[in-house]
Amino acid sequence: MVALMAKPVEQTAYDDLVILAKSQAAALGRLYELYYDRIFRFCVHRLFNRSVAEDVTSSVFLTVARTMREFKGQTEQDFRSWVYTIAANQANAHIRETLRRQRLMGNVVDHRRDRLDASEAAEQGPAAWSNLDWPALYAAIQELKPEHQTLLTLRFFENMDYDEIARITQARPATIRVTLHRVLRRLHEVLRGDES
Amino acid sequence: MSENKREFRKLVAGLRIDDQPDPAHRERLRRQVLTAFEQTAAGAARTNVVRARFQPGPAAWLAVAAMVLIAAGAAVWTWVGSGEAATDFDRVRLATEDASWMLAVATRYTNGEARTERHWCNFAAKETYVVSDDETVVAFDYGPKQAKLAYSPRARRLEISELPKAGPFGVESAYTFVQTFAVLAARDDVAMEKSQTEYEGRTVRAYGIETSDPSSTINGKPAARIRMTVLADPKTRRVLAAGVEHQDAEGNVLAREDWVMSYPSSGPASVYDVGVPRTARVVDNRQSYRGTPGETAAFTSTPSARGDFRLEPLTIELPKPAFKGTPQDERTPNIERPRGGPRPAFLAPAGTVNLARGKPVSSSDREPIAGSLDLVTDGDKEAVDGSWVELGPQPQHITIDLQEECEIYAVVLWHHHRWPRAYSDVVVQISDDRAFKKGVRTIFNNDADNTLGLGAGRDLTYTETYEGKLIDAKSARGRYVRCYSNGNTHDELNHYTEVEVYGRPVKSIKSN
Repeated sequence: MVALMAKPVEQTAYDDLVILAKSQAAALGRLYELYYDRIFRFCVHRLFNRSVAEDVTSSVFLTVARTMREFKGQTEQDFRSWVYTIAANQANAHIRETLRRQRLMGNVVDHRRDRLDASEAAEQGPAAWSNLDWPALYAAIQELKPEHQTLLTLRFFENMDYDEIARITQARPATIRVTLHRVLRRLHEVLRGDES
Repeated sequence: MSENKREFRKLVAGLRIDDQPDPAHRERLRRQVLTAFEQTAAGAARTNVVRARFQPGPAAWLAVAAMVLIAAGAAVWTWVGSGEAATDFDRVRLATEDASWMLAVATRYTNGEARTERHWCNFAAKETYVVSDDETVVAFDYGPKQAKLAYSPRARRLEISELPKAGPFGVESAYTFVQTFAVLAARDDVAMEKSQTEYEGRTVRAYGIETSDPSSTINGKPAARIRMTVLADPKTRRVLAAGVEHQDAEGNVLAREDWVMSYPSSGPASVYDVGVPRTARVVDNRQSYRGTPGETAAFTSTPSARGDFRLEPLTIELPKPAFKGTPQDERTPNIERPRGGPRPAFLAPAGTVNLARGKPVSSSDREPIAGSLDLVTDGDKEAVDGSWVELGPQPQHITIDLQEECEIYAVVLWHHHRWPRAYSDVVVQISDDRAFKKGVRTIFNNDADNTLGLGAGRDLTYTETYEGKLIDAKSARGRYVRCYSNGNTHDELNHYTEVEVYGRPVKSIKSN
């Protein structure tokens, strides 16, 4: 019973924290502590390069700091969706910048050989995915549209459910489900070397 | 495909990804986040002010109590009754207006830009010249000529019109800051607060009023209230500094500005002495005017003022640009927006020179990592190796000894402009005290969180460019100029390529 009660109480505390953070720096500091690691990891998963991920994480939290007072949400879930939306948009914006993209890919290019090896393994079927390492998989993910990369990261790296992803990307859960299905298929094709 | 998902999830779970956060970055960013958050608070100051657009025209914006209010924050306000305080302030007004000239420099921070207006007030001749940093000039002749002159640099046209009933602050028959304060303070519904406070290391008198704003709108929003603070020297009784805070009906601060007053011995004799080119087309819109164009030109040129005063654009030799544009580092909070063009000319009295050239420089870092301190004043400001000195990490400062007391109009500072870096906690001070313990005037401070312990600054962080950072010294007097910094967005080191100090030795200036 205690365990059952604990979660709602904790949740309420976090909701209060979000409301307090609109006017109190200390509360915002606690929210920052709660979310820094998550957002940094999300950025690493989206951007591969740690220093670029730090840049984007900084940008995300500074945006939060500057606009927190106008944030309309009331709950921690609202805040979570909001901060991930900012992170997803900023990561996509970075990826779209040509120079930055070149920099990112420069880090990945050394691993293309791994990717080729992996694609040979992928021809053996989905089970062969387990032979991929992170650089090779990231190189393949980069072949997808930035929005699709976001979906993949939120679903499989951040372990979010469809409803939450839908809130962040402002789409319907059913659409997310179908899109992710297609994205995985496309990724599979990329790994097999089928660029069509 | 669910098989596909399961396998993919398994793959992701088994990946070895270097995604452990760096505690140093987390802590650094935490400070930046909280600073950025606080800055959106205290005022809406910066962020709202920031979008403030005053109407009408550049001369219509009112002052703010920024630094002044902060300085006065520690003071205990006492209600002394409007009559007594008003009488006391009348003495301040009379003492101030007894000066030949008052130069009031107002700094407004808007939307990532710092804008400045300089008000030259000749109380005896009843003339006020308002010079904006976009080179717009508005002059009010509220003496016998009863006219307003407005120069637009874009149109290169000088328009003469009837004197408006309201002066540059939107208050009837008040054409200087001091007059405006006095007129508002004299209203029946306004009570004046009087107190003492610390300002630049000494105790001064502070007068405060709060009143409904008669005219100004900010970003289309009516400013419901104004809070004005004036600091006066207890000995000379003259106004030293002032500020105004515009608030909306809910008490939110819509706009703030800082004002610093000085009393030069001479001032402009006509609009042509404050940057209006003599080739500007003169258009007389006064209904009473029936003359010829030649007569209007004569009107704009009044007899020379005492001291043969003339303002001229500073000639600052610039190094070659090391990069194009002004890329912004979005990680840096409170950063000034790029101007998007060359810096407007800075006007200073004729005879102004770079006083720092070849002068001795000392530093908090006695053993610079690279270069030597003489590079700071050697005149070489190119962004190449061998032209700058590199000081160690943590807060560091350099001090230039001008070797005599000088009146300083501008300091131009180049840290290291090879890349678009932003240096942290940049503070520039002027003093006659080598140790900077007394008589210290801070002319620039972007140390928003008071890391250096010199007081929280309200100036914006800026990106280094080949133009250097021009800081308006507001005619501050002193022998020593000290510049602080605390690392930059690229590394933790401190660099100085060149510092120029524009002014005149005090002994060469006639006393007022």
